[in-house]
Amino acid sequence: MADILGIGYSGLMAAQRALSTTSHNISNANTDGYSRQSVELTTNPPELYGSSYLGNGVKVESVKRIYDNFLVNQVRVNTSSFNSADTFQQLASSIDNLLGNSNTSLNTAFDNFFNAAHQVSNTPTSQAARQSLLGQADSLVSNFQYVNDAVNQGYARVNTSITDTVSQINSLAKNVADLNKKIVLATGAAGGGSPNDLLDQRDAQLAQLASLVSVTTVKQSNGAVNVFIGNGQSLVVGSQSQSLDVVANIYDPTRNEIGYSTSAGVSVNISNQISGGSLSGLLNYRSQVLDQTKNALGRLAMGMASSMNTQHKLGMDLNGDLGGDLFSVAAPVVSASSSNTGSGSVSGALVNANDLTASDYKLVYNGANNYSLTRLSDGQTFSIDTGGASPYTSTAIDGISLTINAGAAVGDSFLVRPTRAGVDDLSTLISDPSKIAAAVPVTVAASLSNLGSATAGAISVNNPNDQVAIKFTSATTYDVLDQTTGTTLAQNVAYTSGSNISFNGWTTTISNGGTPPASGDVFYVDQGVTSADSANTGGGVINQATMSPPDSGLTGTVTITFTSPTTYTVTGATTGSPTVNVPYTDGGVISYNGWSFNISGTPATGDSFSVTPNVNGVGDNGNMLQLAALQNKLTLASGTASYQDAYGQIVAEVGTNTQEAKTSSDALNSLLQQSKDARDAVSGVNLDEEAANMLKFQQAYQAAAKVIAASNTIFQSLLSAING
Amino acid sequence: MRISTNMIFQRGTTGMLDMQAQVSQTQIQMSSGKKIVTPSDNPPAAAQSLQLQQSIDLHNTYQTNIGYAQASLSTEESILSNSNDLLQRIRQLAVQANNSVMTTSDLKSIAQEVQQDLNGLMALANSQDGSGNYIFAGNRTTITPFSQSGTTFNYAGDQAQRTLQIGENRQVAVNDSGYDVFQKIKNGNGTFVTNYNSANTGTGVIGASQVTDPTAWVPDTYTISFLTPTSYEVRDSSSALVTSGTYSSDTPISFNGAQVTLSGAPAAGDSFTVAPSSNQDLFTTIQKLVTALNGGVDAPATRAKYNSDVGQFLASIDQGMNHLDDIRAGIGARLNSVDNQKATNTDLITASQTALSSLQDLDYTAAASNLSKQMLILQAAQQSFVKIQNLSLFNYVQ
Repeated sequence: MADILGIGYSGLMAAQRALSTTSHNISNANTDGYSRQSVELTTNPPELYGSSYLGNGVKVESVKRIYDNFLVNQVRVNTSSFNSADTFQQLASSIDNLLGNSNTSLNTAFDNFFNAAHQVSNTPTSQAARQSLLGQADSLVSNFQYVNDAVNQGYARVNTSITDTVSQINSLAKNVADLNKKIVLATGAAGGGSPNDLLDQRDAQLAQLASLVSVTTVKQSNGAVNVFIGNGQSLVVGSQSQSLDVVANIYDPTRNEIGYSTSAGVSVNISNQISGGSLSGLLNYRSQVLDQTKNALGRLAMGMASSMNTQHKLGMDLNGDLGGDLFSVAAPVVSASSSNTGSGSVSGALVNANDLTASDYKLVYNGANNYSLTRLSDGQTFSIDTGGASPYTSTAIDGISLTINAGAAVGDSFLVRPTRAGVDDLSTLISDPSKIAAAVPVTVAASLSNLGSATAGAISVNNPNDQVAIKFTSATTYDVLDQTTGTTLAQNVAYTSGSNISFNGWTTTISNGGTPPASGDVFYVDQGVTSADSANTGGGVINQATMSPPDSGLTGTVTITFTSPTTYTVTGATTGSPTVNVPYTDGGVISYNGWSFNISGTPATGDSFSVTPNVNGVGDNGNMLQLAALQNKLTLASGTASYQDAYGQIVAEVGTNTQEAKTSSDALNSLLQQSKDARDAVSGVNLDEEAANMLKFQQAYQAAAKVIAASNTIFQSLLSAING
Repeated sequence: MRISTNMIFQRGTTGMLDMQAQVSQTQIQMSSGKKIVTPSDNPPAAAQSLQLQQSIDLHNTYQTNIGYAQASLSTEESILSNSNDLLQRIRQLAVQANNSVMTTSDLKSIAQEVQQDLNGLMALANSQDGSGNYIFAGNRTTITPFSQSGTTFNYAGDQAQRTLQIGENRQVAVNDSGYDVFQKIKNGNGTFVTNYNSANTGTGVIGASQVTDPTAWVPDTYTISFLTPTSYEVRDSSSALVTSGTYSSDTPISFNGAQVTLSGAPAAGDSFTVAPSSNQDLFTTIQKLVTALNGGVDAPATRAKYNSDVGQFLASIDQGMNHLDDIRAGIGARLNSVDNQKATNTDLITASQTALSSLQDLDYTAAASNLSKQMLILQAAQQSFVKIQNLSLFNYVQ
């Protein structure tokens, strides 16, 4: 006979379990990662009574965790993506805010500096104006360093964050491994029943892990979960966890990378395999914002310093001396890989700042004296063949030359960072206001006894960065033409293989490469970089130019005497030709010894003009005008950008990066919210629902209690019937 | 869709936080007056506003430079105007002195006046600007340009002209060297100069001269010699005869495109020369007048020499005054072009400022209405959140 008491009891028990599950749900309504639970009820096995089955009450089949694996996974994936973008955006914003601040803006510093330069050109003898120019040069350097320091602090912050994040990942991985172990044991102990709360705890740990780095999980049949990062490096296998560590970059020991220990016990750098999570946000910020900004600023600093120095050296200071360097110019940074096995070494030198890029380069030795240099921004490769020479200095590549000392083993590599130290090594070199070279070092004067009407225009010093063409008019003679200004520097110079050719402050040599140059062959010297025209037919080879502006004969005395109204003779010139009976053209530019000026009007025979050192020429502002004009000159990025254009590009680039990160972080955030909502819609606790359930189970409990009461009544009825 | 209690809270708070962030951004914009607070708000506009700001700053610098240029040119102009007044005065004195009633002592007192004016002119040529820089020393601004030793005048400056940048591609010269202003002046009539031979014994005076045919003029030193008081011949420097003729007082003698007029009665053997003009500084020109005035006119021959010298002086001083006028005209032209450039710069600055303002300045009306809208939404979010929070079945479970 079906036992009413037993059935009632089973109902009472089931309702009690259900009520306790409901209260568990209510209590955990705010627990992170908690999945609501529900009691699965089922009927007890019925009892065969004659030909029918009688019901036998209820039993708790299981306590089920309401959970959708796909949705939980979605949350995890979206957490990784969002955190990566969010970390990037937050870090990039700090640089973005800095660049947006007009007080620290380089743009303002440049404006102030050039304004001060104009003031010196207005009043060249004023010590106050000169002092103010030096002050503005200092603030210009400070503003460079202000941004640069923020970038350097960014590097330090990334390093610290990488260390912290790696240790968090390790402890989370250990937690997951521990939970795996508990879950396997608990599942076994429950005979296959699922340890719901442990599973939730593990999910919460995995979610935290996903916020740091993107992970993939594989569920095992025994309930454990294996976790992988990067390209399938295992982080957790069953109850074992593998820890990550921090390793130094092979080229730069101050740069933290993420290391993964292989079975051989060697830690390999897996930084570029890391995706997602705040860790990848950190790495992206370092490579896209910090490296880019530092290199671009460095390029601007080196470009500015070298073009200003070149111009300043063409001038004369208040003491009558030629100008010196205004700013120090950083050298390219070349670092050998710590895994190199050979003894070769490489150093770099700046040849021409105009051609510098903001990219880094990798130099690899291929064996047989051959090296390949790869520009990392676009993968462009340059081949360098030393021909066995050591040390060997390469021709200029993107504005720098590399000096290679042999000894490298095949596969040895070097990282070349041309502009990395650009701002770090920038400083002003002049502190004495009288050393500002505002004047042109030479002056031209017409003789007082001239009878003709010819007058001389202002004299200027030829810029060593001008593009100069050396054109062979025969196998043994050449003309030299300044193509930037259109001035003829020399005509019909006799050619000797290998002898120095020196104009405008540079020196190069052309030598017979098997055969001499042919008539019509052209060679160029452009900003210190030499090249041969591709249409050359002779065997002439031009070598690297050395820059030592200005022309060594610049301040020598040169006299131009008219031998007739249409010809003149030049005496005292050390550079330039011809010097005897040169044809005179009205207004034509005359250039010798690295200077140029024009004579216009009609000279009389015997008239003379002399170029002499600009003694006492303290009121001259010729060189300062040229220096101030550099503000709008396109001296950077292969002649496409002025200083401030280049700075604008940096601001726009950081701004764009930050803006993109903001946009994608916003988008990923809403995606993350959606996936969280979707998960919560399934697994989250709704208190109203639980209240209803509570009432339902309360009533079920009360009803079951009534059944027990009824069974008691029935039993009492039976007893009283028997007792009569 | 099933909603969890957590979601209700979270959606409510997320909504409010987002709205608060927007209110804060609008507030930052309103307090700074800019719609671009950081470059990432609008990277292209941020880069463009840097360029515009640079252009504004640079053109303001050009305007400052223009101030210097104007000051410098005006100073030079006023000095040259004073110099011109002095030259006028000296010329009047010379004209006054070139009169047959003047006695030696009359002339001596005039000479003293001219000497004073010469000293005044020297002082003007050695003028300094407010910072103590010599105006007419070229670039040698710390060196006194003109000095006198005996009757020779020396120039210690150079021939350089200083230019200032007053526009994007525009420079203007702001000074003229002492060489250009005071030294580079052709004496005589600008083409040739006439001279009285001091050994002459007659009373012939060489006076007005001019170039009648510039193409026929052959630069050379010509000597006009009187073989008799009534016949003359003109020979060039190689003694080749150029022309000859019968002399009559005040009748011009012409040769090789040149024309000179002699007056008075030259004696046989007297000669005069016609030589190509050379550069002679203004001070020397005036010094020569002083010497002539002091030379005395007691004998007829010395009076003839005196009259010839004053004649030559008048020709030279006219050259000098024309020269100064040319220089002053040049300064005037430069001042004009500076004024034009100033106006151009002002236009450019205004245009850049307008562009910059439209790029980065906040539209306060829009921002204010935006702010009230955002605040309204925030309030609604807060109120609805509180209301929704009060809805719970547990409130009704007794």
